[in-house]
Amino acid sequence: MSPKEILDQLHERGLLPTGQHALIDRVERERPFSLHWELRSVLYVGILFMSSGLGLLIYENYDALGHVTILAGIGLLCVAAFAYAWSVRPPWTPALTQSQSPFGDYALVLGCLLFLSLEGYAQYEYNLFGDRYGLVTFLPAILFLALAYRFDHRGVLGMGLTALMAWVGVTVRPLDLYLKTNFFDERVIYSALMLSGVLIGAAMLLQRRGIKPHFTFSYLLVIGNLMLVALLAGMFNVPDLRLLFAVGLALACMLFDRYARREQSFLFGLMAAIYGYIGLSYLLFHYLRPDEYVSTFYLLLSGGVLVAYLLTYKKQKIDPDAPPTGPISR
Amino acid sequence: MKAYNPQHVRNRLVRQQAERWQREGLLKPEQLAAVRQAYPVSFRENNVFSEIGAFIFTGIAVGGAYALMMLFLSGLVDQADAFGLFNAVVGAGVLLLARWLIGRYHFYRSGPDNALIVMGAAFLLAALNVVLPGDVPFWLRCLLAVPLLLGFVWYYGDVILLFIALLAFYGAMFAGLLEFPWGRLALPFVLMAVSGALWFVLRRLKRAIPNSDYYADAFGIADWVLLGVLAAAGNYFVVRELNGLLADPVPGVYGDTEAPPVRWGALFWGLTFFFPGLYAWLGIQQKNRLLIILSILGIAAAVSTVRYYYPVGPLSIYLTLIGLVMIAVAVWLIRYLRQPRRGFTDVPDEESPRQFFLNAETLSLISTTGATLDRQPDLRYGGGEFGGGGAGKNY
Repeated sequence: MSPKEILDQLHERGLLPTGQHALIDRVERERPFSLHWELRSVLYVGILFMSSGLGLLIYENYDALGHVTILAGIGLLCVAAFAYAWSVRPPWTPALTQSQSPFGDYALVLGCLLFLSLEGYAQYEYNLFGDRYGLVTFLPAILFLALAYRFDHRGVLGMGLTALMAWVGVTVRPLDLYLKTNFFDERVIYSALMLSGVLIGAAMLLQRRGIKPHFTFSYLLVIGNLMLVALLAGMFNVPDLRLLFAVGLALACMLFDRYARREQSFLFGLMAAIYGYIGLSYLLFHYLRPDEYVSTFYLLLSGGVLVAYLLTYKKQKIDPDAPPTGPISR
Repeated sequence: MKAYNPQHVRNRLVRQQAERWQREGLLKPEQLAAVRQAYPVSFRENNVFSEIGAFIFTGIAVGGAYALMMLFLSGLVDQADAFGLFNAVVGAGVLLLARWLIGRYHFYRSGPDNALIVMGAAFLLAALNVVLPGDVPFWLRCLLAVPLLLGFVWYYGDVILLFIALLAFYGAMFAGLLEFPWGRLALPFVLMAVSGALWFVLRRLKRAIPNSDYYADAFGIADWVLLGVLAAAGNYFVVRELNGLLADPVPGVYGDTEAPPVRWGALFWGLTFFFPGLYAWLGIQQKNRLLIILSILGIAAAVSTVRYYYPVGPLSIYLTLIGLVMIAVAVWLIRYLRQPRRGFTDVPDEESPRQFFLNAETLSLISTTGATLDRQPDLRYGGGEFGGGGAGKNY
């Protein structure tokens, strides 16, 4: 049924007075078609293309003069992007806010991406940080986190968290379903766990203080996955402490489940269910070594139990008395 | 007779529209309450993540049950008729379970019911294929699956099954045509013709059938697939590479050779740009989001096709220029549409998947950051300045 048909039906059934029917009919007919997200997607992919093109260009060898020009040009563009983003910066507030210009957020992303390329090249060509490789990732991490809070930008927050993960030795590219790390190295597991513990604790504290509480979602999504993967890796790869890691995993899953129910943010409930299920199944198969009959029966039973459990997450009812957000199409 | 109550599917739609009007301040809260009273919906409301999880774990449970039964009935696989019967019984059992759960727990595309329906259909299809004689060709198997799957779609309105039905249909076309010597040449034309024709048929069907709301999601996915295949089948890159892939290997030539140019190349070059252009024109005229998005993707594919066969300049320059053009177009349009013009606006509306977009943006930024940071040490070590570097990347 089209909105028009629904409108007419409501009118026929006496649920809408004629005047209101005519008003809504006019609003629907004159409602402009929004290209908001399509245009932003194009803008955004364009920025990704341009910054990766320029990032590649740096490493291509031209004669010395051309090379310096390219570097200077990219540096200037980077500075200009940051300067523009700063000139239209949102006023500082701990609450959700946005840039004064529709392009501010995108200029900031461009600046950050170009900065990353330039910084990497400085280390590659001029050995800027010497042997202190940690700084190559730690420096942008701190810069991006600071910018994310100042400009209220969740994407840049994600970039900062990714740089921090690289700092402890974990590379993720979620779109390629790619994770590179060495979880056989116990040090990587412990540093990943320490980092995720500190960051999730910080995120919770900041949420309680009311400082950018909407960032908690990104923290838990990015760092929460790191923590749960590291706990699983510990369980798989550190036999001496296997049960300790199992207890840690169970605890983490319980906390995620509680958070999911309290905040009605059920993605974290799904994460808890999947990681917990993998951990539980691993322990079962590792210690009990069940035969094939018990194994298949376990799949049947556990699958059923998890379905029943997941369906206990109920959608929050939309409050009909909530204040209207006001007409959008004016 | 349908799996879900069609009246309540319609009522749900009315409620959603009324909720939207209420959010925009066009309906008073008490009016919305009256609409809810007048349009009852018995379906269970879950959230999308628990539905995804329930879908996955239902699959695990059914898989476990199937494997367990196979353990008890070992040796069954060797007897085609008995194995076919077994699959048919399992399929029927799974579908009965779905029916019972839908009645008992008021599921409406809530995850478990979707999984059971898809798996039930899969078991029945498996039964059919086991029973069919071994020499029945692939295209005929695909073709026989289509009416069965469409029957399921008619009853359940399920999106995944319609998608599989379309795949089976295209599979039958594809494999069937290749049986003929001229099939390879005709393939793109046949694919374009049937996609376009099916799209027109579905458009008529949407208006003609009484329960089109019941199938709204299924029709939606069909539009995407049909129009996507229509444009892809005319794309020069797709035609040429697929043609090269399907060609008989030339004796004495091994390994990856470049696909040879195709006959009527100019026509396909034209179609490469024609379909995205047509979609853009129709999309803007009819304010159709699907056509507009497909036209953007199609233009991107067309430009990549040109670059693939006529690479001018290094990749870095190409990416930079393409990026610049995209930024320029987007910035210009965003500024132009600040005020609504010709019925278009840059102001976000309610339909927009805001949360989805923000998360997609964050995910792709994380990917890019990960890739950039990952590249540097490799380059460093690859540069040869560190003898034997690369071992133990402790940075």
